Amino acid sequence: MTNPVDPALASSLSAPASEVPAQQRQSEAPSNPSQPQPSKESGKPKKEKKEAKPKDTKDATPATDGPEKLTGAELKKRAKAEKAARRAKEKSDREAGGAPAPAGGPAGGGSGAGAGGAGQPATPKKGQPAGGSGAGGDKGRGLPRRPSGQASGQPSAAEQKKKAEEKNVAVFGHLYGQQRRATVAGAGKEVHPAVLALGLQMRDYVICGSSARCVATLLAFKRVIEAYATPLGTSLSRHLTTHLSHQITYLSTCRPLSISQGNAIRALKLAIASIDPSVPEADAKGTLCEFIDSFIREKITVADQVVAGSAAQKIQDGDVIVTFAGSSLVKQTLLSAHKQGKKFRVSIIDSRPLFEGKNLARSLAKAGLDVQYSLMNGISHAIKDATKVFLGAHAMTSNGRLYSRVGTALVAMSAKERAGGVEVPVIVCCETVKFTDRVALDSIVVNEIADADEMVTTQPPQQVTGLPDPAAAAAAAAAESSSDNKKKASKTPVPPTNASSLEPNPALKHAPSPLKDWRDTPNLQLLNLMYDVTPAEYVDMVVTEMGSLPPSAVPIVHRMSTSL
Amino acid sequence: MAPAPDSSKPFDIVATYNELLRSDPDLTMPIAAIEALVLLLTHSPSSTISETLDLLNKSTEHLKNSIPNPIGLSAGTDLFQRYLITTLQRPGQLGPAGDFNAIRAHLLSNGRLFIRRAKESRDKIAAFGRGFVRDGSTVLTNGGSRVVASLLQKAADEKGGPSAVRFRVIYVLSSSKNVESSPGAEPEGMETVRALREKGVPVATIPESAVAYALGKADMVIVGAEGVVENGGIVSRMGTYQIGLLAKAMSKPFYAVAESHKFVRLYPLGQYDLPIEQRVIDFKTEEEIADEAKQQPQETTTETTPKSVARNSCQSVDFTPPHLISALITDSGVLTPSAVSEELIKIWF
Repeated sequence: MTNPVDPALASSLSAPASEVPAQQRQSEAPSNPSQPQPSKESGKPKKEKKEAKPKDTKDATPATDGPEKLTGAELKKRAKAEKAARRAKEKSDREAGGAPAPAGGPAGGGSGAGAGGAGQPATPKKGQPAGGSGAGGDKGRGLPRRPSGQASGQPSAAEQKKKAEEKNVAVFGHLYGQQRRATVAGAGKEVHPAVLALGLQMRDYVICGSSARCVATLLAFKRVIEAYATPLGTSLSRHLTTHLSHQITYLSTCRPLSISQGNAIRALKLAIASIDPSVPEADAKGTLCEFIDSFIREKITVADQVVAGSAAQKIQDGDVIVTFAGSSLVKQTLLSAHKQGKKFRVSIIDSRPLFEGKNLARSLAKAGLDVQYSLMNGISHAIKDATKVFLGAHAMTSNGRLYSRVGTALVAMSAKERAGGVEVPVIVCCETVKFTDRVALDSIVVNEIADADEMVTTQPPQQVTGLPDPAAAAAAAAAESSSDNKKKASKTPVPPTNASSLEPNPALKHAPSPLKDWRDTPNLQLLNLMYDVTPAEYVDMVVTEMGSLPPSAVPIVHRMSTSL
Repeated sequence: MAPAPDSSKPFDIVATYNELLRSDPDLTMPIAAIEALVLLLTHSPSSTISETLDLLNKSTEHLKNSIPNPIGLSAGTDLFQRYLITTLQRPGQLGPAGDFNAIRAHLLSNGRLFIRRAKESRDKIAAFGRGFVRDGSTVLTNGGSRVVASLLQKAADEKGGPSAVRFRVIYVLSSSKNVESSPGAEPEGMETVRALREKGVPVATIPESAVAYALGKADMVIVGAEGVVENGGIVSRMGTYQIGLLAKAMSKPFYAVAESHKFVRLYPLGQYDLPIEQRVIDFKTEEEIADEAKQQPQETTTETTPKSVARNSCQSVDFTPPHLISALITDSGVLTPSAVSEELIKIWF
């Protein structure tokens, strides 16, 4: 992986004059391969790898032949022209940025947590060539990997803002805040490459799901701590917290932090603050890394096993379990119940735009479970023969309400209102790390708004099953089976001249969405909410690693688990 | 009080438990279980902590398996086990490092103390609950709960005192088959009815079928419980759930009375999610009945019939969900159903 990158590095070192234009071009080049991203599903680290490969080679090639062909002036001119072109293309680019969302979404799996974490160390190496070295931050800025480089991004951001304002849904106006970060450009030099990569992975839903994000963040912070050296004149316990704050700020610009992330960060900061300044740095770092490991183990890995075990006990032979979207914990529960030899059916309800249930459906079916998959529209039918509802959680609030993927409340309500609510118990699987002392009365005050463009993109049909590589799909616009694509992916990077002549997005092309121009259509607003709040009355039981609780016991347990 | 089988014979925990329950009518199931376990410890010559815990585990399992409805019992055994473990984990003389004989003596003495306290808790509850029975009110109750009886009697005792409470009681007596099959026995709760009447409290007895009819005349419902589960619902004798539903429908307050040692670590999601098997609903065709009748004479008819009937109607329980319960009157205070899990968590963590 490092090989294709090295030439770029070398060239940028040898020809500093050409560095900037080369980058401009680079920022252009990767924008194309990333455009077709919507055409593939659920990348995770694997996808990341494939995606990075063609990019890197493309980066490398223009950089190497840059200095010999073009003079500095020529390059500048060209860069300017490209800039202008980029502005015009800006919209489609943004769509490309938003589009991976529906695709990459279904990472909520427990494997997602593990895989995301595992992929963690690998990705930054690719993305930021000099990942390990101290200059990592600068390099990260120099090589923007995502579309819309900083230079062109800035002016358009202003006009976009103006437009965006009238495109905001008024009731949720307070939630829009700043837009999700588009690139790693502009990130502070203090931000560790691992965190840079993680931010983008979270933004694109490569790492998705509350626990997965929490684990990935902690693992990234472990790397931050490992690479950290206390500056002269400060102590670790004082300075490391501010150093981490930079990372956290960066992460929160990529996607608002989840409750579990917040809780984990709070615990970590507490651990840092409680380190005696007299302890040698190496020892302190060791302690902190150990703390992170044990936090992940206790609060998530083992907690998940305990929750899955006790929730699985609630499943009986002949049950029809309804679940919504793709909770990793629900998946683990269902799988462990299946392993115990229980005979039951699972009905997965899914919704746009993330389609997190698809991955769940696939992995459950693979494990031999009886799975029925339907979309939210079919809820009343799916709930008809349900005997239990299992839900995952993003967070549990202190008034016992469930804060989870948008649509959860509807599922819980359908189950409860079906037959007086006695027959269909709604069970929430949730680790205590997701408990918060906040109170939610509705889903308006606190929520997250995702890019509305995610709703515009229609999914190409092959997404349901295949994992076509974006580069391959772009090169061979004709539809191809996913297995072929994998082979192709390794070949396509070879002709780098294609890069500029690539078609826009084949997926977008053959399925133009009627909503495509929604930003320019007057009187049209799109709303893409991420979460909703399920009232406590609709939840019968919360299964946590500390036992099964009624939702009213959430604040007690939260108090106990944080005071320990 | 121990049936004390001589040392040559192994200690039979089930027999002890049953004997304890029979000998002392005031004993509740969890307390009987704890007492049986304490007796077991006194009889067994265990010398290490792990041996003790192992013995305890095995006997508990055995006891639970041999009793048809171990819900109430398990509250006691769980509590005792938990108590043992926390005692053993405590640092100091009585911790794992200490002398085991001292630990054992301490455990036994504390176990007895625990039992005494549990017996006293009924008075405490009566003191808490007395305030709920207001002057001129009518209370509807059911079953043979001793806590409810002591609460009502306590309230009646006040009569003539400075805080005279005049109240009436509607007592729901189960009109179940066991009355007919063994005419000598009277329905559960008759004793309480007599005691209350003796104290000058007007008591009306009604069959279960008249609850809805009678509830209009009642101001509140007070019931006992066999176990209080984690979500604040109660496991109680069959028929409590329907009274709860009716009380809710008529918006009458529904109070459950239970000692805090009846709190069980159990979370039933509904009527059929209880960890016991009850054959209340038993579908049969004429053919099957004939088959059974044919089989029965071969067995010892006199033994089986009353027993199985008794199990069906008298010992069976149902689950009253927390949203039907206004408050739980316990010896640690008057709790809302949602506070039960807090109490349970306090005990367990």
